[in-house]
Amino acid sequence: MDIPELILTMACYLAATASFVGFLLTSRESLHRAGSVLLAVGFGVHLVAIGVRSIEGGRLAATTLHEALSLLSCIIVGAYLALQGRFKLAVIGAFVAPLAFIVTLSAVLFYSGVQDLPRTLNTVWLPAHIAPALLGYAILAVAFCVSIAYLLQERQLKAKRRGGLLQRLPPLETLDHLNYRFMVWGFSLFTLAIVTGALLAKTAWGEFWSWEPVQVWSVITWVLYALLLQSRTIGWRGRLAARLTIVGFAVLVLSFFSVNFVFPGKHGGHFG
Amino acid sequence: MNREIIVVGLSHRTAPVETREQVAIAEAEMAAAYRRLLERSHVEEGVIVSTCNRVEVIATGQHADAAATDVAEFLRTSPDTEIEGFEEHLYVHRGVEAVRHVFRVASSLDSMVVGEPQILGQLKESYTRAASLGATGTVLHRLFHKSFSTAKRVRAETTIASRAVSVASAAVDLARKIFEKLEDKTAMLIGAGQMSELAARHLLANGVGNLISTNRTFERAVELAREFGGTPVPFEQFPRYLRLADVVIGSTAAEEPVVTPAMVQEVLRERNQQPMFFIDLSVPRNFDPRLNEMANVYLYDIDDLEGVIEVNLEERAREAEKAERLVDVEVESFCRWLGSLNAVPTIVALRRRIESIRRAELDRTLASLRELSERERDALEAMTAAICNKILHAPICKLKERGDDEDEVFYIDAVLRLFDLDDEEPGAAKSGKVTPLRKRG
Repeated sequence: MDIPELILTMACYLAATASFVGFLLTSRESLHRAGSVLLAVGFGVHLVAIGVRSIEGGRLAATTLHEALSLLSCIIVGAYLALQGRFKLAVIGAFVAPLAFIVTLSAVLFYSGVQDLPRTLNTVWLPAHIAPALLGYAILAVAFCVSIAYLLQERQLKAKRRGGLLQRLPPLETLDHLNYRFMVWGFSLFTLAIVTGALLAKTAWGEFWSWEPVQVWSVITWVLYALLLQSRTIGWRGRLAARLTIVGFAVLVLSFFSVNFVFPGKHGGHFG
Repeated sequence: MNREIIVVGLSHRTAPVETREQVAIAEAEMAAAYRRLLERSHVEEGVIVSTCNRVEVIATGQHADAAATDVAEFLRTSPDTEIEGFEEHLYVHRGVEAVRHVFRVASSLDSMVVGEPQILGQLKESYTRAASLGATGTVLHRLFHKSFSTAKRVRAETTIASRAVSVASAAVDLARKIFEKLEDKTAMLIGAGQMSELAARHLLANGVGNLISTNRTFERAVELAREFGGTPVPFEQFPRYLRLADVVIGSTAAEEPVVTPAMVQEVLRERNQQPMFFIDLSVPRNFDPRLNEMANVYLYDIDDLEGVIEVNLEERAREAEKAERLVDVEVESFCRWLGSLNAVPTIVALRRRIESIRRAELDRTLASLRELSERERDALEAMTAAICNKILHAPICKLKERGDDEDEVFYIDAVLRLFDLDDEEPGAAKSGKVTPLRKRG
């Protein structure tokens, strides 16, 4: 049972959200620091929650929807914490923290007990599939947050509003570059996850490709992201790129859930 | 015995620039000026601040009025000329008001443009110079250090200085919100004018790498290009070079827009939709207002920039109120320290501190020695009291010595710090606290 830890994690993420939003509105540096600290504390508690669950199941908790969501939000926060110093992300926490809260909340809502893993899935390809998939999702989620910040900042500039918000959000060009960079990383990992997923399918079910709903959705999402990255070369940058990133992320979320509920195939129940 | 702080001087608030110029003391004359200042019989410590916006002397003395007269005399004869209507430009602050004045000046609350930070550096320079010439003592030393830390606090806790308040700096600020870095960017200056040249200068000073200038009179474009180290292009051909420009400043006298959406559409395609920032400083406007509706194009005209500045000035005014409250707190804390620099309350506080230690230790010992007789107890009581008095005798004599020299304040301050008496609030000390700040008759 990892629910108590997850509730505490959610409380931290929620408090971090409040701090970051407070910082955006008032520019109090102390709130900004508090937000980062709360997020880091939440991350720590989250690791404990995942540890508890993993010990309970005897392997890394990443195979049910509940576990995958929990791990995903943990990675989102971890990715943000790791990237924030290097890229001076700072205020992006205002968007990452609530996202992490929502993903953790859905993990709690989709709670399920520890399930035994079918022996067929228990191969080396399982972690090789799960790791890049979740990391890819997490980075694309951060790209999504960066895009929201871009659209906000762009609106401030166009509307000639000179609120504190404009001062505290990073420059447009920075956000656009970050978006592109994270998209490339996320896309690469996503590609890797599809390849290892196919290899996993081969060892588990005997064939690389069986037009499973998850495979179809993944390919749709992959093609979408590929087009999106390609479109940069014809100048689809800035606002357009930010909007497309948000659309891409929406499709990603949709495929993530629809795979498990709407079209439960072999993959359903065992999310990976 | 009590020292008072006074400030005598004139600033942009009280005197026109002609008068300030006459009173100003040049760098080279400073050493001589300090000698003349300290020769005055009522001035003990002094710091001379001479900038283009203010000339003032912060000094301490035993008698505020006499010291103020001395300093006024000093300022009047500074460059050995008589100054007409000098007195009416002069302000004199004493005690708390003098402290507040110095703290406000350091925090840039008394500046022409509130929040502009140059004054703090000038103040630090003035103080360092005074200190190196031996013109400062314990009081001004602490006053200036406190004023610097107050200014630092104001900058850290308010956003008073973080907003642009000129058209040129507002333009740079906006460019920084669009572009990640300015070093690899190119600015194009279409037309010429005081404001647009200032904006170009600001952009270049903030890192913009290249400048292209164009003008209907090509010679003028060449002139500007030479001045800014840029490249001139003939006016008829500037649209062809527009794709190189990330920031475009317009200030021609044209009646019709010189840059249209159709033109920019084409240019954007050529530059692969890299963002462009148009700054229109002319009336009638040079750039079609519809440019702002295009993706990756940001257009600010003169009214937009003025609007930005207005908002920033309001913001500064709001922040200034916050800053005033911070200054109040710091002034109070400084005055408390200054007030405590009095021999009598310091002695009282010191005795009290030692006595309380003696009492506490004695009570503890007596509590564990219940078998002692009344006489033995009295003897212990007397002995401990005698030890304390003997120890205190020499320091208290030293504190009671009334010398005119700087030493006295130094020792009082030392005692306060060594025995941690700064924050003690005994009634006796309290009554003495405000005394040195009161105006004397």
